Amino acid sequence: MPALNGLLWLISYWLIGEVVIHFSGLPISSGVVGMLLLCTTLAVIGRVPASLAAAAQPLIALLAMLIMPGVVGVFFILNELAGQWLAIVAALLLGTLLSVFTTLWLLTRLMGRSHAD
Amino acid sequence: MLTNLLPTLTATPLLAVGLTLAAYLVGSAVFIRLGKPSWLPAILIAALLLAAILALLGLPYATYQQGATWLTVLLGPATVALGMPLYQQLPHIHELWRPLAACLPIAAALAACYALGIAWLLGASPDILASIAAKSVTAPIAIGITEQLGGNVALLMGSLLVTGVLTIPFVSLAARLLRINDERIIGFALGLNGHAIGTVRAFDISPTAGAFASLGMSLTGIFTALLLPLAWRLVGIGAG
Repeated sequence: MPALNGLLWLISYWLIGEVVIHFSGLPISSGVVGMLLLCTTLAVIGRVPASLAAAAQPLIALLAMLIMPGVVGVFFILNELAGQWLAIVAALLLGTLLSVFTTLWLLTRLMGRSHAD
Repeated sequence: MLTNLLPTLTATPLLAVGLTLAAYLVGSAVFIRLGKPSWLPAILIAALLLAAILALLGLPYATYQQGATWLTVLLGPATVALGMPLYQQLPHIHELWRPLAACLPIAAALAACYALGIAWLLGASPDILASIAAKSVTAPIAIGITEQLGGNVALLMGSLLVTGVLTIPFVSLAARLLRINDERIIGFALGLNGHAIGTVRAFDISPTAGAFASLGMSLTGIFTALLLPLAWRLVGIGAG
């Protein structure tokens, strides 16, 4: 079972992330620590082991389903958010519009300049 | 008899897991049937369906959520798994590291700051600010960040969905106004602002746009995960 082997890798890196956070006190999630450690390990090995790919690919493909229980929760807190709606909707709508414009403008300027160099 | 049925079924997590699987599969099928509309992602269809089923069954969300832990616990290893595509994109990062390294911190910080600033000006409570701060970050990482900040994960998920869906028309509008045709730039902007939902859209445009979108999504996730909780602690918003 190569996928099981790969799953053990992923779980181990997550647990290592927990240990790192426990001792360092960094306010980061253990998943992110594990992800960076995994990326570093792969860069050192220079390839993706087949067993790891067998576990990682299906898990990534299932991400949308794994977050669904959380997404559903938003329909059950609608009452608690009364009175804050305008602020939330305006922040998401205007904030996203502004940040999309900034990203595109900034990257065009920066890439244009680096090509000119 | 029927009144006793629900407690019997919810005695194990299998009802919650089964309902989630069913809603996900039906949601995906409906999404494909509708011709993959970019304004109505499969996850929104599935979530609406699941919420309707829970309401019809009279199953409290807390009971459902407890059973669904069997699925959500996999988010940890799934986040670690994102290290694999990140490694596979290292050549892209290498190629364009200078403009990307200059753009990413500013753009990712602004993605959070614009929304926080607007919400704060309109008088949103600290809880709300903590819940929407990670709105442009891919869900598994954003959940970790929001738990660190003490925000509400359910509201975060709603914000992610709204942000992701809005990013798609906003990017095409902005690209037209700024006369940008470079697929790498458009892809990067889709992933940076619209996380997984924007990345899926970028893969519809072209594989290059998709690769840059996943790059933008991963880098924004890492940058925000490393710096937002620290910045939060320094500014002391959470304490206020």
